[in-house]
Amino acid sequence: MSDSKPAVPGDQRVLGFVEGTPPVGDRKVPSEEDPVMVWPHLLVRHGVVALAVMVLVLGLALFFDAPLREMANPTLTPNPEKAPWYFAALQELLFRFHPLVAGVLVPGAIIIGLVALPFIDRNPETQQRSRRIAVATFTIFMVVWIILTVIGFAFRGPNWGWVWPWQEWYGEL
Amino acid sequence: MSLMDTIRKSAPGRAIWRTPKRVTDRDRAAAHWGSFLLHIYPVRMRREQISFKWSWFLGVASMVLYGSLIASGVYLMFFYVPSPATAYGDIVFLQTDVAFGQFIRNIHRWSAHLMVLAVAAHMARMFYRGAYKPPREFNWVVGVVLLVLTLLLSFTGYLLPWDQLAYWAVTVGTSMAEFVPFIGSTVGAMLLGGTEVGAQTLLRFYVLHVAVLPSLLVGVITIHLWRWRKDSMLEIDVEVGSE
Repeated sequence: MSDSKPAVPGDQRVLGFVEGTPPVGDRKVPSEEDPVMVWPHLLVRHGVVALAVMVLVLGLALFFDAPLREMANPTLTPNPEKAPWYFAALQELLFRFHPLVAGVLVPGAIIIGLVALPFIDRNPETQQRSRRIAVATFTIFMVVWIILTVIGFAFRGPNWGWVWPWQEWYGEL
Repeated sequence: MSLMDTIRKSAPGRAIWRTPKRVTDRDRAAAHWGSFLLHIYPVRMRREQISFKWSWFLGVASMVLYGSLIASGVYLMFFYVPSPATAYGDIVFLQTDVAFGQFIRNIHRWSAHLMVLAVAAHMARMFYRGAYKPPREFNWVVGVVLLVLTLLLSFTGYLLPWDQLAYWAVTVGTSMAEFVPFIGSTVGAMLLGGTEVGAQTLLRFYVLHVAVLPSLLVGVITIHLWRWRKDSMLEIDVEVGSE
């Protein structure tokens, strides 16, 4: 088993060797289930994430100024009149459906649906291939929502008409 | 021995940290429990839980962005009076005459947009990992509350520059409240402080933005993180559920 002579301090004698692998210690292969100390293992990662996020924020802040238009004028409605980007999907729905549907029923249903999700989906599996219906439903809703947001944000111009973002740009951040 | 160890072993160091030894895992766990700043973290986690693929670190990214928003927001508050007569001029003054004014305002704006993205992405990642399953159902619900609070914070802040962009975006947003059956017009009037966006609306949105909503968000995050720490070593268990 031992192909090289183990290192022994000079003033000590080796009385014997035991064959096999140690029950604990350096030969143990770490598994994903093994607990590790949060300090330093997780906190170092969080430190790196914090630095990366702040580099991104400071970089954006250096190169892109926050917009500031003319002073608010209640008598002069801009065209198009755009909601903040995270409500762009709702505004796009508002264009297509009655306000009661787009402004009340849909957002209400989304919030109630999200709150109720853990009590509706009682499938204990966490692997995605074992929960196809839940994953498919959530993905469809998410993709539709992202598409509506992008349309409302970048593809809508005066009178909420269709514009191509590479021809005219009306998105506001 | 490092400088930090020397400091820890001095009389004031022992008074602050109480556990000067850092030899075994047990010592380190004791030091962790004894630290106010570290007590929001679990002492140990499973190796898979600290990997990138587990969480994409979107929760901690949201927290970092929230910290950035508080720091930059406090700076902006020094130069801003929430009144239609002064608000816009204050922003112009901030951008042109205040040291780092434009830069700090940019940081606040981009942090806000990124926080909305990060919180939404955190929710999506937690869905795909199945992290809302028992015994973690309640923490998912708390997370939904945090998403709504994040959107409200962003929306109330959107009005404050008092430019055309702010004014009409908030007009569009609040006009939807009118369509809520029975309570819509009352809620709308309470939010706006009148029939349209005006001086009262600006003041109300400001108070919500700098006092009410941030305090609520901190309170709810406290519950969210406390639950996260308590549940961090638990396995998904539908049989036992949340009992």
